[in-house]
Amino acid sequence: MSVTRELAAADLPGANCGLCGFRTCGALAEQLEKRPDLIKRCIARSADRLATPTVAAPAARQDAGVPPGGVAPTWRDTLGREFDFYLEHFPEDPGPREIIIPHNPMLTREMEIAVGDLMIGRPLGMSCGCPITHCGVAIEVDRRTGVIVWCVTGPLGPREKGFKDIGYYIAEGYEGLITQTRDEIEIGRRYFFQPRRCMLQWRHSGLVNYMNRSGDGLQVRLEGLWIG
Amino acid sequence: MAIYLDNSATTPVDPRVVAAMEPWHAQAFGNPSSLHTLGRQAREAVETARAQVAALLGARPREIVFTASGTEADNLALAAVDGTSGAAHLITSAIEHPAILETARALERRGVAVTRAPVDADGLVDPSVVRDSVKPHTRMVSIMAANNVIGAIQPVTEIGQAAREAGALFHTDAVQAVGKTPFNLAEQPIDLLSLSAHKLHGPKGVGALYVRDGVTLSPIIHGGGQERGLRSATENVAGVVGLGVAAELAAAEMADDNVRLTALRERLIAGVQSACPQAYVIGHRQRRLPGHVCLGFAGQEGEAIRLLLALDEAGIMASTGSACGASHAAEPSYVLRALGFDPFRARGALRLTLGRFNTEAEVDRTIEILPTLVGDLRRIATARR
Repeated sequence: MSVTRELAAADLPGANCGLCGFRTCGALAEQLEKRPDLIKRCIARSADRLATPTVAAPAARQDAGVPPGGVAPTWRDTLGREFDFYLEHFPEDPGPREIIIPHNPMLTREMEIAVGDLMIGRPLGMSCGCPITHCGVAIEVDRRTGVIVWCVTGPLGPREKGFKDIGYYIAEGYEGLITQTRDEIEIGRRYFFQPRRCMLQWRHSGLVNYMNRSGDGLQVRLEGLWIG
Repeated sequence: MAIYLDNSATTPVDPRVVAAMEPWHAQAFGNPSSLHTLGRQAREAVETARAQVAALLGARPREIVFTASGTEADNLALAAVDGTSGAAHLITSAIEHPAILETARALERRGVAVTRAPVDADGLVDPSVVRDSVKPHTRMVSIMAANNVIGAIQPVTEIGQAAREAGALFHTDAVQAVGKTPFNLAEQPIDLLSLSAHKLHGPKGVGALYVRDGVTLSPIIHGGGQERGLRSATENVAGVVGLGVAAELAAAEMADDNVRLTALRERLIAGVQSACPQAYVIGHRQRRLPGHVCLGFAGQEGEAIRLLLALDEAGIMASTGSACGASHAAEPSYVLRALGFDPFRARGALRLTLGRFNTEAEVDRTIEILPTLVGDLRRIATARR
């Protein structure tokens, strides 16, 4: 037995409990020489190596720092109304991701909407009342319920390649990233927010019902949408 | 064939335990307090069981008090924190079993100050937090040895040391840990320890409290003075015999069981994560019970109940969290909330807990079925990394 192995064996508790996955402390000690990280598996010896706990905060506050453009946010929309954060779209998406449902959900099946289809439509009435017709590309389609997930894009694609007109639709939810906020974000709360690419730069409001910290920012889903 | 993966809720009784209990129902039915032959036989059986439980814990037989459950053992232990005779303070954790949390609330109503120590994102209590929370009138620190929902194993020796330095008693609810993690109470700074037979392949309706020599407790059940006056009532002889044999089997087989269960646990986690990249392990990755798998499925946490029912239809019995919380399954888990989970994610744990009788074939069957069921679940969003 090498000196290292003897030291490793001496450092182990001798309980031979098997929790580390090895039948005896000696068997673990033999492996420690090659894989020192295995010591983490020993509950008797890993306790004094516990990191100081970082109690996870119930919410995320991302620094409301100066954006790449160099201008600090005023947190007011074009009508002077306050909002809490910007909603950015996912970098891999062609535009902001929306969960929509045609006013007649049967249209999804009747028009054979499929992933990749270019579509146009206008978010009528409740949720969320925008007066502007939107264009986008479908990325998920549920023909059973009629729900479509699409990314809102500019009009060039539909003009050049054709499109399916779903008429009026209801915007049921948004998904995106928060990289700037002036408030703590908590699941279950309703916030005023500004979709970064909203053509009118009007604030919206919605209820955060999903949060996930990602490398690009705080991923959120918002439902119960209203303009203003 | 059904696959039982809910061993943290309860374990199947080992056939050797069943065989040992059998005579004590009908033939040898004596009351251990009786002076006649049947009584003496029953007394002997109870004392043998006491020695078996003590041996598993590295304790002395006289330090074992039999109770009717782990919950009763917890209540008996915490009754030592009496708020009626001056200021009293109890330190516990935010993720204890309701047997502790609800008892602590009852004590609070009687004037006891209670501190609930937070846990980190892995579900561990930092001994220094306990050290910092101690007050001159702290009577007891009660931190569970292993958590029932996430399987995290607490550093009880270090926490017990912190309690001892403060002059407070240290109690640990070891219901999930006994028979799976080693105890040597002759050396560990633990004054009181609760356990339950049905978590270690013994019968339901019997538990025990380890009471270190010199620790004074007051009974919560009064009567004929059985169990050194701490737990009046005629002993549940068959149950106690079952607990004793279960403890003896655990002492003999724990290491082999742990090696096998740890390997099965890792096989199950790797298999599910390979098919479901959105699966994440909840609770400390290494400091966890050998057969304990607690998984979340990112973006699908709201569907945990549906997943559980689908698993049941497929013949796999699992749970979303603690069995004791099943009636409150619509509420977010307070354990996961304490780990920092938001209320949505805190509804989403799938607990798969392996025991002595689970096989590799059962784990492989679960790996085959579970990803298909997860694939059928609605996804509120796809989690980004």
